[in-house]
Amino acid sequence: MEDAEFDDILDDWFIESLKTYKDLHVYQLEHPTQVLEWTSGKTVCVAGYSQSKNEILELRLPLKLLADENKSLCAERDFKVSHGGFTDGPVRCLIHIPGTRCAVTNDGLSSDLQVWDLGGEESDVIRRTGSIKGKKSAPERGSRIAARPSSAPQVLHGAQISDVQLTELASGESLYKLETDSADPLSSLQFVSDTVFLAGCCNGSVYVADTRTSAPPQLSHSPSSDKSVIWWTDGAARPHPSSCRVIRVSSSGQVVISDLRNLGGVGCQAQLDVQTPGRCSQVDVKVSWAPTLDDCVSVSGFSGVVQIYNTRLWGAEPQEARPLFEHRGHAVSSQQTDDSVPTFVTSHIWHPERPRTLLSAASDGSVHVWDWVDPDRQGGSPTP
Amino acid sequence: MTCVKRLFSKGPRSKVAWLIGEALTSCRCFHAELVRHESSALPVVHHSKYVCDLAPSHRFPMGKFPRVLQCLLRDQVITEKQVWVPEIASKDLLSCVHTEDYLDNFINGKISEQEQRRTGFPWSEGIVRRCRYETGGTVLAAEVALQRGLACSTAGGTHHAFPSYGSGFCLLNDLAVAAKYMMDNSPTKRKVLIVDLDVHQGDGTAFIFKEEPSVFTFSVHCGKNFPLRKQQSDLDISVEDGLEDKDYLSTVEAHLPWLLETFRPDLVLYDAGVDPHWEDELGRLRLTDQGLYQRDLFVLKTVVKRGVPIAAVIGGGYSRDIDRLALRHSIVHRAATQVWRECGM
Repeated sequence: MEDAEFDDILDDWFIESLKTYKDLHVYQLEHPTQVLEWTSGKTVCVAGYSQSKNEILELRLPLKLLADENKSLCAERDFKVSHGGFTDGPVRCLIHIPGTRCAVTNDGLSSDLQVWDLGGEESDVIRRTGSIKGKKSAPERGSRIAARPSSAPQVLHGAQISDVQLTELASGESLYKLETDSADPLSSLQFVSDTVFLAGCCNGSVYVADTRTSAPPQLSHSPSSDKSVIWWTDGAARPHPSSCRVIRVSSSGQVVISDLRNLGGVGCQAQLDVQTPGRCSQVDVKVSWAPTLDDCVSVSGFSGVVQIYNTRLWGAEPQEARPLFEHRGHAVSSQQTDDSVPTFVTSHIWHPERPRTLLSAASDGSVHVWDWVDPDRQGGSPTP
Repeated sequence: MTCVKRLFSKGPRSKVAWLIGEALTSCRCFHAELVRHESSALPVVHHSKYVCDLAPSHRFPMGKFPRVLQCLLRDQVITEKQVWVPEIASKDLLSCVHTEDYLDNFINGKISEQEQRRTGFPWSEGIVRRCRYETGGTVLAAEVALQRGLACSTAGGTHHAFPSYGSGFCLLNDLAVAAKYMMDNSPTKRKVLIVDLDVHQGDGTAFIFKEEPSVFTFSVHCGKNFPLRKQQSDLDISVEDGLEDKDYLSTVEAHLPWLLETFRPDLVLYDAGVDPHWEDELGRLRLTDQGLYQRDLFVLKTVVKRGVPIAAVIGGGYSRDIDRLALRHSIVHRAATQVWRECGM
């Protein structure tokens, strides 16, 4: 494609974006990231995933985006690097320990974790302070990590379901181990309350356990017996703290929602339109419940687009789901690159408080922060 | 009447032919619904139909047009007596720049969905009407400037419109229509200099006058701002993100006097866009209110002191705080009032 043609496409998209976004800021990292993790309401951590040395950075969001009242009074429209450091290997998982300046990472190659100090006001350096050994498995796999929401710094981690353990950061002491024999590799691990956690396996099964008890976990079997398919999971205690819904997405685009109180049953289903050639094996699919918008979920990893769905429209029978909104920024701005390597969204996260603000990162190094306009609330037709 | 004297003491042209031309101009009807021959104050061109209804959430700050006039009146910078009211631009007038097909489709609501998307506006009769009045306003400002030396509209600057399509909130190119009309409506072709200091390149205008030696297009814009696909003005100055008052002003000062000296225009059309301001939501520069004022003062004074008529339009500005934005847009009218006073016009 000629430069002029490409510029034209970008110009078209820019005009379109004035209508479809309340705010949109783009940033270009030197190296792409697969991790996006909030370290505060205004700062986010990213890190590279190349084979050897990588940068780990803490970025501050554009002030212009954050100032709701006096939006026009903020000149700062760019992300700023507030802290940075170097890793020895790729970073496939990065978790911030709430209430601290501490982060924990995993390189996706072994189950061991690295512990980091993100730096404070006196220093802009992110430095490694220690490590946590994970249980070795064969073959060796990367671990998923989850931070305990409250209490003293503790992390839940493991590469497969039988290896999940809760480790206290200060002492390195293992406080809890999940009792199960299964060696299914994990694709997700998260706390849904201070002590209850979900472990999502690649085969689609989901385990629910409580770190306070040594009782065996509850198991929700995989929605599919197709072994070639990989699953990713997200759980949320929404809309009420007493309920907890789990959403599972497969590499073939099948989506299943279940209620934790009724793990055997299926709440609703959908089929996502997954384009061929389909996802890139290097890139994880990310599925996430919106923190403040009831019934909204976001999905990325199948292409250069982040899709937002309203699951209230889904029923018990799987129907093709139409997205409520699509963030096409990464796909549009990367058309110039070699066609044989399409851009994929590597990760995305919702802002914890701002209802429609998300961050997304792609394989071309772009990082976008965007505040989308709900087409339904506008009374206009949904984005095609 | 220092200014009038200066108008008559110009360069090496047939003085007689020029005098006849100017006499004809002053007798000709203005494209106006209301003229203010009796007022000796700065002519300000405004129409209540510069606005139309838009969805409240729409990003284009439609409400700024009446507010620009209101704040000038409220602050007693001007009085109602100096407000000239333009006629709606006729299809005939518009066709000196825009194609028949485009005008037909535009006026009759046959613009495709895709084309509408690129303009940023959903088509409506209201939007057609307001764009035509806006263009009429710029033409009237040019006509009045020719007679009085200086005039400002409270709208205008729709420089992304091309002959056959609209783009970036611009549906008709008011500067191009005014320039073409003024160029042609004269016994000898008038030379028009378009000074476009909106933060976005005046791509439509550049394209329209690419092959026209009598119209010189000069644009200072931020390279990274829309449109990424740039056209070629006669002089393009592409500046870096974050440019501040001092360096920006130096840039304008480096080029304008020299342009006036070499091109020797008979008329200057000035797009005083306020989107280089640091608070602008879309612009990527860092000018302050003071910077914009100094800029406008410099442009207006430099041109007026050379005895060249100049008409100013407000250009672009994007902010969700409409009152602040309107105040910013009124800077050029305040600068013009200052120049009017200082130059004894």
